[in-house]
Amino acid sequence: MHIPDGILPVQVTAAGYAATAAVTWYSLRKIKQKEDSRQDIPKASLMTAAFFVVSLIHIPVPPTSVHLVLNGLMGVLLGYYAFLAILIGLFFQAVMFGHGGLTTLGVNAIIMGLPAIIATYVFRLSKIGNKDSPRKDGAFGFLAGLVAIGISVALFVVILLSNIPTDLNAAVEQAAIFTLAVAHLPLMLIEGVITALIVIFLRRVRPTMLSSL
Amino acid sequence: MGNKWIAVAAVIGVLVLSLLLPAPALAHGVSIQYTSDIEITIIAKYDSGEPMAGAQVAVYAPDDPSTPWLTGVCDDEGRFSFTPDASKPGIWDVQVRLAGHGGMVHIPVGEGTATTGGIGGIGGYSYLQIVLMAACVIWGSIGTAFYFRRRRPA
Repeated sequence: MHIPDGILPVQVTAAGYAATAAVTWYSLRKIKQKEDSRQDIPKASLMTAAFFVVSLIHIPVPPTSVHLVLNGLMGVLLGYYAFLAILIGLFFQAVMFGHGGLTTLGVNAIIMGLPAIIATYVFRLSKIGNKDSPRKDGAFGFLAGLVAIGISVALFVVILLSNIPTDLNAAVEQAAIFTLAVAHLPLMLIEGVITALIVIFLRRVRPTMLSSL
Repeated sequence: MGNKWIAVAAVIGVLVLSLLLPAPALAHGVSIQYTSDIEITIIAKYDSGEPMAGAQVAVYAPDDPSTPWLTGVCDDEGRFSFTPDASKPGIWDVQVRLAGHGGMVHIPVGEGTATTGGIGGIGGYSYLQIVLMAACVIWGSIGTAFYFRRRRPA
C-alpha cells in the first residue's frame, strides 16, 4: 500500500504533503489540549517501532502478497498520536528500505494515517452505552482494524486510478489495481482479529492503555 | 556538318556504353559492415523477491523522454527484453509499473554501456544489514520511550 517515488505526478505528491501538514498540525493541537501531552509519548514511540517493522512481514495472497499495516491498532492505542507515529514510521521505511518514497511520504501518510484516526473514533463507539464487556471491546477493536485497512485500500485505489499515465494500457493497470485491492480483503480480517486480540489482552493487563484520545 | 553530328553521336554512344558496361576488373574491394545490437533484459521484482509478472513496461529513448519508444509487458518471471536503437546513444529510461508499484531504471546505451545495473529494493542489502537497520530504529524508539518515561524531579 506504499506508493513509491515516480508513480504520481508532482501536483498529487504536493497535495499529499499539504494534507499531511494540515493533519499533523491538527493532531499536535489535539495532543496539546491533553492534560499531560507527554504521557503517551513512550507508548507512541514503541508503536512507531512496531509499525516500522511489521511492514516487513509479507503475507502471501496469490497472485500477490500483502503486508501488515496495523494502522487500526495504532489508532485504537494512540489516538491522535497515531498519525504522527505513522508519519515517522513511513519516513524510516522509505529511507531505510526504499519502501514507499520520500516524494510520496505525504500521500502515504494520508493513505495510512487518516484511517488510523478514524479507527480511534470507531473504537470509541464501544464506550457508548452502559454495558462494558471484553467481548464488546473486542468487537469494536475488530471493527476498528477492519475499517482502517478498508479505508486505506479505498484511498490507495482512488489515488492510483485517477493518476494512470496515458502511456500505459489503462485497462491492464486498472485490472492490476483491482486485483491488489481484492488481495487486501483477507488483510482486513487479519488486522481486525489482531486488533481485537490485543484490545482484549490489554483490557485485562493494562486497561489504562486503551483510554487514549 | 553531317560528319560533326556523327562524331558527337559516337562520343555520346561511347560514354553511354562505358556507363552500362560492368567494370569487373575493379571488383576486388571488399565492404564489410557490422552492426552490434545489444539486447537489454530487465528483471523486475518486488522487494519481497516476487517477480512483477504482467507489469507494464515503457521504454523511453534519449531523444524523446515523454513518449514511449516501446511498450510491453513483463513475463511471468518479471523479465522484459528489448533492443535499443544503436543510433540513439544516451540514457534510455525504462519504466516498470504494476498496480501502483514500480520504478524507473536508467540504462546508458552507446559508449560506456554498462553490462549490469539496477535500482531499488532491499535486494542491495544483506539479511544481516536489514536486521541491523531495523534494530537501530527499534532501539531509537525504545530509547525515546525510556527518555519520556523517566521520573521527572518534582
